[in-house]
Amino acid sequence: MMKFIIRRLLSLIPTMFIIITLSFFLIHIAPGGPFSGEKKLPPHVLANILKKYHMDEPLGAQYLRYLNDVILHFDLGPSYRYEDQSVNGLISATMPRSIFLGFVSLLLSVALGGAAGIISALRQNKWQDYLSMSVAVIGISVPLFVIGPVIQLIFAMQLHWLPVTGWINSRAGWVTLIMPAVTLAFPYFAYIARLSRGSVLEVLRSDYIRTARAKGLKESVVIGKHVLKGAMLPVVSYLGPAFAGIITGSIVVETVFQIPGVGRIFVQSALNRDYTLIMGDIITYSAVLVFANFLVDVIYGFLDPRIAYK
Amino acid sequence: MATNAVNEFNQQVKPVSLWADAWKRLRKNRMSLFGLWVVGIYFLVALAAPILPLYDYTEQNLNHVNLPPSLKPAGVVAVAQEQKAIDQITDLVKNQGRADLQPNLDQKIAEMAQLQASLAADPTSNNVYIFGTDYLGRDMLSRVIYGGRISMMIGLVGTITAVLVGIIIGAIAGYAGGRLDNFLMRFVDIMYGLPYMLIVIILMSMVPQGTNSTVVLFVAIALVSWLTIARVVRGQIISLKNSEFVEAARSMGAGTGRIIFRHLLPNTLGVIIIFSTLQMPSFIMNESFLSFLGLGVSAPAASWGTLVSEGVQGMELYPWRLLVPAIAMTLFLFAMNFLGDGLRDALDPQSKNRA
Amino acid sequence: MTEEIILQVQDLKTYFHTDEGIVKAVDGVTFDLHKGETLGIVGESGSGKSVTNLSIINMIPNPPGKIAGGQVMYAGKDLVKLTINELRSIRGNKISMIFQDPMTSLNPYLRISTQMIETIVLHQKLDKKTAKAKAIDMLKLAGIPAPEKRIDQYPHQFSGGMRQRVMIAMGLSCNPEILIADEPTSALDVTIQAQILDLIKDLTARLGTAVILITHSLGVVAGMCDTICVMYAGRIVERGPTTEIFDKPKHPYTQGLIKSVPRLDKTSGDRLYSIRGQPPNVIDLPDCCPFYPRCDKAMDVCKRKYPLSKDVGNGHAVSCWLYTEAK
Ligand SMILES: Nc1ncnc2c1ncn2[C@@H]1O[C@H](COP(=O)(O)OP(=O)(O)OP(=O)(O)O)[C@@H](O)[C@H]1O
Ligand SMILES: [Mg+2]
Repeated sequence: MMKFIIRRLLSLIPTMFIIITLSFFLIHIAPGGPFSGEKKLPPHVLANILKKYHMDEPLGAQYLRYLNDVILHFDLGPSYRYEDQSVNGLISATMPRSIFLGFVSLLLSVALGGAAGIISALRQNKWQDYLSMSVAVIGISVPLFVIGPVIQLIFAMQLHWLPVTGWINSRAGWVTLIMPAVTLAFPYFAYIARLSRGSVLEVLRSDYIRTARAKGLKESVVIGKHVLKGAMLPVVSYLGPAFAGIITGSIVVETVFQIPGVGRIFVQSALNRDYTLIMGDIITYSAVLVFANFLVDVIYGFLDPRIAYK
Repeated sequence: MATNAVNEFNQQVKPVSLWADAWKRLRKNRMSLFGLWVVGIYFLVALAAPILPLYDYTEQNLNHVNLPPSLKPAGVVAVAQEQKAIDQITDLVKNQGRADLQPNLDQKIAEMAQLQASLAADPTSNNVYIFGTDYLGRDMLSRVIYGGRISMMIGLVGTITAVLVGIIIGAIAGYAGGRLDNFLMRFVDIMYGLPYMLIVIILMSMVPQGTNSTVVLFVAIALVSWLTIARVVRGQIISLKNSEFVEAARSMGAGTGRIIFRHLLPNTLGVIIIFSTLQMPSFIMNESFLSFLGLGVSAPAASWGTLVSEGVQGMELYPWRLLVPAIAMTLFLFAMNFLGDGLRDALDPQSKNRA
Repeated sequence: MTEEIILQVQDLKTYFHTDEGIVKAVDGVTFDLHKGETLGIVGESGSGKSVTNLSIINMIPNPPGKIAGGQVMYAGKDLVKLTINELRSIRGNKISMIFQDPMTSLNPYLRISTQMIETIVLHQKLDKKTAKAKAIDMLKLAGIPAPEKRIDQYPHQFSGGMRQRVMIAMGLSCNPEILIADEPTSALDVTIQAQILDLIKDLTARLGTAVILITHSLGVVAGMCDTICVMYAGRIVERGPTTEIFDKPKHPYTQGLIKSVPRLDKTSGDRLYSIRGQPPNVIDLPDCCPFYPRCDKAMDVCKRKYPLSKDVGNGHAVSCWLYTEAK
């Protein structure tokens, strides 16, 4: 097991390296830069700015400098647009909120989606099944940026139960978390419900469940001890993609609910062509995701005995 | 044999064609049949949009701003809207002791006279906006239809590109095997680890202002979406590669490319169809997602995502501006998903009920 | 083997209600099982062997399946009518089953110990420690080397043959009266098949367990069974003591089966006999002899009605119009 973890951990290095390199060159081959925008700068000012940010150096040198800063000093450089702010500062101020929101949403979607899926499978073709699968189909078909505004319209603007926008603070309290987290969790709740329903049904049909029943075990033992573990493995391996989706989705949710998270910074940086900030966002996001995938693999390894012995 | 449909026991001997069988199963599934109809109608409307009697989706009419959905002529609705506002203020002034609003009332009444005058002179007052209008007085119905055209086209072109790229790379990897396969799949693995919408966002941010971003959008979405299909095709090809009929084809001297396209691909067609129908709604969602963030198609073109994001601006006062595009889009995505689910159950009964 | 009957299956009918029609997988099966007897059920794929045996312990997936009629008498009770709780105390305890594919029949996520102990604790009311000792004993009996070590491993650490040994040990761990083995060797290598069959024969003889052995192959039943039932399209077309069946097969289908067994004592070089045609599918089958299209001796009456079973002496019965007077 330990070997497996170490090997998996080592494989993160080339992945991160590729991500850094790819995003660096993608951005630097792009026509136009952050300073070729609306207002034309006088040439000498521009030259000064370029010099300040080392943008007058050859691309190779810039790349090596960037690699050096990022890998050895965890320094993502200054923001081109937000003057006197470092990318590190901007990201570390906003990332925790996004990760917290994402994590709550993931928990919500796994807990509720898993439960809905298992119940649907055990009550196949009964009302419980139809109800949760109908809700799931809504979750899969309706985009986040429709769900968000619509529940805002209903629960905040019409019913006044919840604040329209904002983020957890001492005055509003935790209620501001409810709508964003529910919105963000909904699609993944839906996927997980369908996934776990399908895999419970598949395991129920499997030979080893027939064996368990032929041994005279109670149905509750058959389900609890023999079905669930195997059936939840696909859900565990879906956690990686789900987390990636939640991270991406949080960009929309942060926009809709005006949450000062990293997603909004990211969109702003993309709209502003604030290249260091874009790269910094990508690298941080990727690091979070790659690490989350690693965790998922390790959890999977613990759950499936066949992995650990490979 | 085909004519002899009954055997010694008077039992039906059905022709076992995968497609006929699948069609039979699909027809029994009411939800996917509904999906098929809805998708068909959407495509028909989108194709026929230029010859349908629609108002121009870019035409602005400041007399018709923010009209609610109605079957009455625009002039009547606009006057009724204005009258409602006047009534409200009148009520405030008369019954709630807000005399300070009197100037507002006077202004409104003057505006009303003006509006009536300009409506009388305007031949478009007889326009009927069954889905209402937006903040520039543009017809929501025609905007939703043209927005749908763009969204659906992006979905379609994106899916086709992704499927083609995926098939080619998957087929190469699966068929060649060895180092090339290793390399390609390692690459796919790494790409999988990347937050791909973020990459699309970078790509979109690199588009120089003023270029037609729709094309870039196609490419951007498609370029990062071929991964799954490549994996699926590769897996199928590897499992089929050693099967007998490929051996037979090879022993008769068929070349590698020929084997792939003549024998292996038809066998993976079912999977590809299922994948495509489920992929298209996700492309449409992704495009709308970008348009919603302001990184998608550029004005004056609009996709469903653009419309939703415009609708969000005034949703408290003019909810139809959000709800009309949201419902149009959601209904289509629903239908596509039902159709996709149905196709999966029909073409691949073993994987029944998988998410 | 004694004369005491421990299981009596009478006119058992199990139907599946599918989209294509009613699948009469088992349609009027009757046989007796005596204490300590080994009974073979032979038939082609799809003839209803597995469904018959799942019906005995009432494990037909419902829907689509349903036991449509008949009785399964065990210890004075009709298993078809028992409540689920009463059935559970019999399953795995008095009647246990081994399935065809040992690779998928054990739960891959649980240790062998967990899977064996839960059965013993459930039925024998032992504490976990004693149960584990008992499980280790059973594994040793089943020929697993170093059972104290291997019991804590997972199924994927065992080979196919070893897993089938584990299944046998598990099946016999509560000293059942009846062991139902559904093609226990079909998924295994030929060399291992004989070992597993020997193990079943040996262990059940020692423990006095009656066995119902399901198989495709007459070769297997010949060496193992006291009695043979030949199944075709959901019915038992012929049954009798092994020697009777092999020496004096009555039903044309049985005769065909025996002719198609490869034998060493026959002159080699002869082409192996095979019955022409395909077995019918059992959806909405009319009331006729389902074998007549493939039968060389088919008569007019065969197309109209299914023949009743006729006793031809020595405990040998056959359902064929050749031996029954048509009314
Ligand atoms: N769950 C089910 N639904 C519908 N039909 C079924 C089901 N289970 C079995 N059948 C049908 O019942 C018939 C008998 O099946 P059964 O499994 O008993 O055959 P078998 O003799 O054991 O064959 P094999 O040697 O292949 O195991 C088959 O025609 C099969 O299609
Ligand atoms: Mg069987």
